[in-house]
Parts: sequence; structure tokens; C-alpha cells
Amino acid sequence: MDQFLQHLVNAMVLGGAYALLGIGLTLIFGIMNVVNFTHGALYTFGAYAMYIAAVSLGLNFFVALPVAIVAGLALGALIELVLLRPMRGADIDTTMLVMIGAGIILQSGTLWTFGGVAKSVPAPFPDAPLELGPVSISWLRLFVLLAAATLIACAYAMINGTRLGRAMRATFQDADTAALMGVNVKLIYTATFALGSSLAAAAGALLGPVYVIFPQMGDLAAVKAFAIVILGGLGSISGATIGGFILALAEEFGAGYISSGYRDAMGFLIILAVLLAKPTGLFARAERVG
Amino acid sequence: MTRWLPPLVLVVLALLPLGLKDPYLLNALIAGGIFTIGAISLNLLLGYTGQLSLGHIAFFGIGAYASALTALGFDVGLPGGLRIVHEGAHPFFGFLAAIVLSGACGYVVGRLSFRVRGAYFVIVTICFAEVVRLVALNWVELTQGPLALTSIPFMKLGLPGVGELTLRTKVQNYYLMLGVATLAYLAVARLVHSRFGRAMRGLKENEQLAMSVGVDATKTLTIAAAVSAAIAGAAGSLYAHYFRIIDPDVFLFAYTVTMVIMVVSGGKGTLAGPVIGGLIFGTLPVVLRPHMAPEAQWIVYGAVLILILFLMPRGIAPFLDDLFRRWTVRAKAPAAAAKPQLEGQP
Amino acid sequence: MSTFRIASIAALALGLAAAPAFAADTIKIGVNEPLTGPFAASGAYVVNGARIAADEINAKGGVLGKKIELVIEDNKSNPTEAAAVAEKLITSDETPVMMGAWGSSLTLAVMPKLEEYEVPMLVETSSSGKITTSGNPFVFRISPPSALEAEAFAPMVPKLGMKKADFLVINNDWGRGAAADFGKMLKAGGVEVGLVETMDAGAQDMSAQLAKIKGTDADTLMITAAVDQLTLVFKQMAAMGVKKRVVTTGGSQNPDQIVAQAGAAAEKTLHLTTFLPWDPAKTPDPKATEYFLAEWKKRGHPFAGATESFRGYDGIRTIAAAIEKAGAAEPKAIQKAFWEVKLTGLNGPIAFAKSGPEGKESGQSKPGVYLIEIADGQIGEAKL
Repeated sequence: MDQFLQHLVNAMVLGGAYALLGIGLTLIFGIMNVVNFTHGALYTFGAYAMYIAAVSLGLNFFVALPVAIVAGLALGALIELVLLRPMRGADIDTTMLVMIGAGIILQSGTLWTFGGVAKSVPAPFPDAPLELGPVSISWLRLFVLLAAATLIACAYAMINGTRLGRAMRATFQDADTAALMGVNVKLIYTATFALGSSLAAAAGALLGPVYVIFPQMGDLAAVKAFAIVILGGLGSISGATIGGFILALAEEFGAGYISSGYRDAMGFLIILAVLLAKPTGLFARAERVG
Repeated sequence: MTRWLPPLVLVVLALLPLGLKDPYLLNALIAGGIFTIGAISLNLLLGYTGQLSLGHIAFFGIGAYASALTALGFDVGLPGGLRIVHEGAHPFFGFLAAIVLSGACGYVVGRLSFRVRGAYFVIVTICFAEVVRLVALNWVELTQGPLALTSIPFMKLGLPGVGELTLRTKVQNYYLMLGVATLAYLAVARLVHSRFGRAMRGLKENEQLAMSVGVDATKTLTIAAAVSAAIAGAAGSLYAHYFRIIDPDVFLFAYTVTMVIMVVSGGKGTLAGPVIGGLIFGTLPVVLRPHMAPEAQWIVYGAVLILILFLMPRGIAPFLDDLFRRWTVRAKAPAAAAKPQLEGQP
Repeated sequence: MSTFRIASIAALALGLAAAPAFAADTIKIGVNEPLTGPFAASGAYVVNGARIAADEINAKGGVLGKKIELVIEDNKSNPTEAAAVAEKLITSDETPVMMGAWGSSLTLAVMPKLEEYEVPMLVETSSSGKITTSGNPFVFRISPPSALEAEAFAPMVPKLGMKKADFLVINNDWGRGAAADFGKMLKAGGVEVGLVETMDAGAQDMSAQLAKIKGTDADTLMITAAVDQLTLVFKQMAAMGVKKRVVTTGGSQNPDQIVAQAGAAAEKTLHLTTFLPWDPAKTPDPKATEYFLAEWKKRGHPFAGATESFRGYDGIRTIAAAIEKAGAAEPKAIQKAFWEVKLTGLNGPIAFAKSGPEGKESGQSKPGVYLIEIADGQIGEAKL
């Protein structure tokens, strides 16, 4: 039972980060119909931005975090303007491949600049964990969970409560009609990609201090983000949130009670099962693209 | 483009080893060629049915393992006390086993997952590849897991009564690769020009319309997936018997990405596309290697990819096709031929 | 537009053509290491160590009166590329001997090429048993396979008072091999073996495995993983309150990096390592160790890399010694000469013993193995 509780707490903490990763991707996927293969690279970029801000520049941890997120926002906007805007109207596979190329360049550039040796960012939290009966949880991870929840809530409020968010949703449902109604679709695309990128960078900046930072850290994160997005249903923020927690629970209990060798397989098996039973993901929306 | 070009390219490729004495380049051509066969198979799915398989390396890897294990033999226990013992067999049976097993896996995956299309199909194939990789990694008794299958025998070809040839040298393996690639190319060409091919394209263009005229969507797509997987399995078998060692790294996601790059940059949905893409991205790393730092090679690789797609969003083959067509049209029109007109075309 | 396109494409194609040319009267040594991809950090360390050895040898006049030249190629952490690199080194650069290829799957992919061209290779890092037992007479290894490491650890087990051990290993040949060989050794010594948990090579979150390990009655946790994952495991163990004695195996742990990155979480952990850069006086050849460390520092490399890079340094020195013995930069002669090489490496005597099927034996050297402890943020030999 103690072990069960520990697994449950672990899954909750992991799930928050997974959700953050998933939301950024689902927005871009849903609104722009772009399979964003730079998502993992942006996650890595966020972690390195955090490293530069907190370690190289010596900023306070809590100041460095928003700096890294804004850096991710800027890089996302740049990628959209330079690479995606000229490719608008091109085939989905073509834009996907352009994103693969951009991902390769970003990852190799990171390796070239920083080398392959892992970096770590010290966090201003006590090393001793918070102990609640048989369960322990580190303060840093608790902070990550809270920060992730806050960011998710902000993204949610922005999409549902602001003019920009309304324009995004309109573009998601029908880009042509939205354009006719006076929505600046080009701007919406840039904003969407920048927002999605900043969420990926935020996930990297939050998880970098928890784990270690190295150029390939985004690879696995990207695969998981894709899985979460599909699990939750394309373009659905709440779906991606819940999908993140489901994936974390599956991995945690799969590894704990079945076999750690198949830990990563658990998530994929669940996705296969879900898709075969309900091909549109768990939280289908009628107007979904793709 | 035209009728005579593919045979001409084949002749050039077939004559290549006569002039090319550098084994390193030959090795790169063989490795690139093996992945080009994978790209040709991927093109059948991606280019002609519009379904992207991002787990295509799974079929390639299953083929590699099936072929290697058939040739090496294995002894594995199954749940329920069952035990399967297989003595090593002729590598050519391995090649056949690779085609059959990969094809069967393709059939099953296609059957199960063509209920989901588009992005969902993409993720189902990624998941499938990941699960297969983890099985190869963890089922140590069968696959040796991360300890790798080593000393895989060379491919042997023989005719009863004539004799047998063990393909040891690079030139022999080059011709084997070229032969299989040609067969794969012809199989895909044959398929897409048949009634079946029209059904595939119909589904890609407008599924509802195609179905209303009697195309069985699931059946068509499933068969395409099975054929595609079988060809990928054949490529995997070549890989196993050429490199003679495989481990779960054969399922690297990077290999799938390589195949997708070959197909889309060359021009998906064209027969020449994967071959052109394969030639470019199979040899690009070799060309870049002596010139710059390893990280820079990757950056240039990515930049070349982006540049090709910026200049030719539909891929190289359709671009050249357009160019060629415009050129022939111009040559045929006497008015245009009257004055020199090499520039100023929109 | 189309003219522009054609021009750009032509420029693109032209820019990629043209080949380099080099010619010099040197002895070439091929170096096949991962410089990009997941193993880039380790590969770069080994290459930098190798460069120090080459410069040192050349400063002393080279080998057989010629300078040695390292031909360094990146295998992209990818077995297919590792084989291609071997092909390039042997056939276009005509290197009579090579060093490589860090990971076991990379080395195994290169091995058929060695047989094909009959060129010897010194294996500096890989630990898979298969490398020296599959009957490839062109392989000479200076890193210990896990069975040798376990053998060296056996006499320390009773002193540590181990009763029952769990394993947490990386899910590849290295980790699985370590779990099997150490497990066998422990059982033979009367120590119970509990859980054997694995983690994927790229995995960052080991909390599920650790939660399981937390609940067992084992007193010791044996871990095999590269330094980045070790750091994560220690941090996560501390976060989850897993309190067990920790012994890591494998010898590329970079304890300094662990101290720097895991901090207090790494306190009291024990590590089996093959090189003691913290205490040059205790190494088998203190002068060489000091020279190497000074040079390493002078070139601006991080001290933490020394536990990885020394293998590149020793590898090239061993190869140079073999070339000297062979009297010619010929693959066959060098292969024969490897058997007669005797030198003191930074971590003990290097001499190759026969391993594998008779008539086709590979060479295996038996390096020193040390147990070190992290106490108060300092690294030192464990007191038993």
C-alpha cells in the first residue's frame, strides 16, 4: 500500500509536466495543422535558456524561469515567421519535414554550442524531501507541479477568455471564415506557434533543474508529447491535460507492477488500445481536423 | 518523366561499381540503397494512399530480425511450457521469412489501424514501432536483447543443380541491393498503375467519392500496408546479412526519419521520388564528412533539407517533371523557338 | 522565379562537390568515436584524451621515426555509421590500426569490417562480453568487461557486510551484462540478489523503479548507468527517501560531475572505477598520471572528463607501443605485436591475455579496479 501511494504521488508530479508538454503541441497541431517536430528542440531550448539565465548570468531562479519562457516565445515566433509562413498552403508532410530539418539544426546547434556534457541547474529548495507518512516528495517537484498547474490555467484562461483566444478558436474551426470575419489569420498562426513554443520551453525550464540538461533531452519528451496529444484528442487542451496524467499513471504503475523494461511501452500500449477502441482519442471534438 | 529514363538510370547504377573502386563509397551506396528500398516501400503508403507511417522502421527491423534468426537458429520458451527450437537455415529462407513476417505484421497493423487515419495513423505506427523495439530489447531469450545478434551469415544465392554463391564482397552485395531495389521499384510501379493503384489514389483524393463507386477502403489500404511492410522487411533482411550484426538499435527513430526525408524531398507519390531522395540523402553525409565538424555536418544536412523543400515544396521529381514538360512544350512550339528565350519565364 | 530556383539548386549541388586531398609521411591511426548523438559527450572526452597521447608521442619524436596522425571520425552514435566509418578509415585513409568505438553496439557493428580487411582495433570503452568471446582475432580491449570488474569487486563484498542486493541497470548490453555478472558473483559469495530493475538509455525519470526498490529489504543497491542517469537516480533517491548503500559499476561515472550535480544526494555513495585521478600518487604510474592531468587541464577540459578520457590516452599509447614493436605500420604486424605489448597504463599494467574460441582469440587486458567513496563532497578511496 505504501508503495502504491508513492507510485500515485510520483505519477501526479510527472503528469503535470507531461500535460504542459502536450498542451503546447496540441495547440499547434489543432490550429495550424502542423506536425511540429521542433517541439522537442524547443523543450531543450527552454532548459538551456534556464541554464544560461540562472547559471551563466546568475539570475535568481524565479527570475530566470520567466526569462526562459519568454526566450521560447521569441524563438517560436521566429521559427513561424521564417520557416512556416512562407510554407503556408504547402502539404502537411512538407511542413513536417521542414520542421524535422529545423529540429536537426537546433539540436546540432545546441550540441555545437554547449557540448554534449550534461549541465545542471541548482534549485533554491531544500534537499531533504517533504515526508507525508510513507510518501516522500521533493520540494522542487512540488514546485514544478504547482508552476505547471498555474501555466496550464493561464493558457486555458487565455484561450477561453481573451479576444486573441477567441480568434484562435475561430481559426481552429474554420480558418477561411475567420479570415472573412476580419481575423488576422497570419497573426493568429504566429501567436499560436509562439504560445505553443513557450509552453514547451516552460516545460524544459521547469524540468531542467529536476533532471539534467543535455542536447538530446527533447527526443523522448517529444515522443511523449505526441502520445499525449493523440490520447487526449487533437486540439483539445483539457484532453491533453488529462492525457498527460493518464500517460504518467500508466508508466508509473506499469513499471511498478509489471516490468520496468516495458515502462515506456505501457504508455504506447494504452494509446494503441484507446485508438483502436475510440479512434478519435478520449476527448473527441466534433470539429476536429485530421 | 519518360519511358527511357528509369532503365537508363538502372544501367548507370549497374555500371557504377566498374568505375568506382573506393569501397567506402560503395559501402555508403549499399547502405543508402538499402534505406532507399525502405523509402520506396514507405512511398507506397505515404505517396499513394496519403497515410504516413512514422513507425516504418518497425517492419524493416522485424525483417532484419526474422531473417537473422531464421539463418542463425534460435531456441525459445513460450508461456505454457512450449518450446520452439529452430536450427539455422539457408539465409535465402531468412530473406523469404522477412518478407512474409513483415508483410503479415503490415497486414495486421493496417487492418487494426486504418480505422484511424491521418495524424492518428501516424501515432499508431510510432507506438507500434516503439513496442516492437522494446520487445526486441527485452525478449532476451529470442533476440539476445541489447547483447545483439552477431555473426549473421552472408546472403547466399543458388539455383538447384547450378551451384551456390555466397555474397561476401561489396560488389556482390551492391548488385544484390540493386536487384532487390529494382524489384521493389517494379512491384510498386506495377501496383500503382493497376486498378488497385487507381483505387488507392481515389481514396487519397476523395474517400467518399471513391467508396461510392465501389472501392473497399479498408481492404485497399490494408493490402497497401502489407505490400509496403513486406518490401521494408526485404530491405531489413539485406541490412542484417550485409552488416552481419543487429541489435535493438536497428529500430532507431532516426532511420524512419531518414526514409521519410528520402520520400518527401524526392517527391512523394512519384516512382522516381524515393530513388532521387535516396541518392541525395544517402550520399550527402559521405560528401559532407571530410569538409566540416560533425555538428556542422548535421546543421548543413538540416539546411539542405529545408532548402530543397523551400525551392521545391512538392519534391524534386515533380519539380524536374514540370521543368522537363515546359522545356518540351517550348521546343515543340515554333513561335517560342524562333527567338532565344532562356529567361523571363514565370 | 524558376531561373532563380535552378540557379540556387545548381549552387547547392556545386557547393557540395569537390573532395579534399592530404598527403604526409605519417603513421595514421583511425579513431572511430561518437561525436554527435546521445553519446557525444563521452566520445569527445575519449578523443581529447587520444589527442594528448598523440601530441606527447610526436613531441618525443613519434613512432618508427614518423609522426603519428589521428584520423578522427564521428560515428554519430549509430551502428550503421560506425561500420561506415570503419570502412572509410581502413579503405580511404588506409589506417593500419584503429581505436573505437565507445559503445558496445557500435564496436560490434565495426567487428565484421575488421575481419573483412584484417585490420586490428583497440577497444577502449565497450564492456559487452561478446566483443572478446566471439572469435574475432583483430580485437584488443583495454576496458574491463563486467565479469572482470565483478571478479575484482568480490573480495570487497564481505568487508562491506552486504547481505542482499538489488540492481538498477541501464537496459543495454552494459547494464544487463553487469547485472548478470555481478549477480553471479554475489550469489557465489553468499549474498542474496533481490530485484533487477532496468531503465531505458534515454529515460530521465526512474521514480517508478525506485519506489519499488524502496520497498525491499535489500541493504545495497547496485547501479550501472552513465553519469547523467546516475546523477538523476541519486537525486530521485534522495527525493523519495530511499536509504540504501549504493555501489555503482562500469567505471565511467565521473564522480566529480556527480558531486557537482547531485550534491548532497551523492553523499556516501560507493563507486567502482578504474582510474584514480583524485590521487595521482596512488596510481600505478604517478608521473604519467600527473602529466596527463596537467595537460588535460591546460587544454581547458573539465576535470570530470578525466575518468573517461584517460582510456583514449591509454588506447593511443598502447597502439603506438604496438606499432613500435611491429617495426612497420602494417595491419598484420601490428596485430601480432599487440600480443607482446607491455606498458603501464594510467590504471595499471596493459598486457593482452587470450580470450574466446581457440585459434581466433581476441585480446583482453586486465586493468585495476578501485572502490571510491564520496564523503563530505570529497572523493577518495573507500576505507574497508
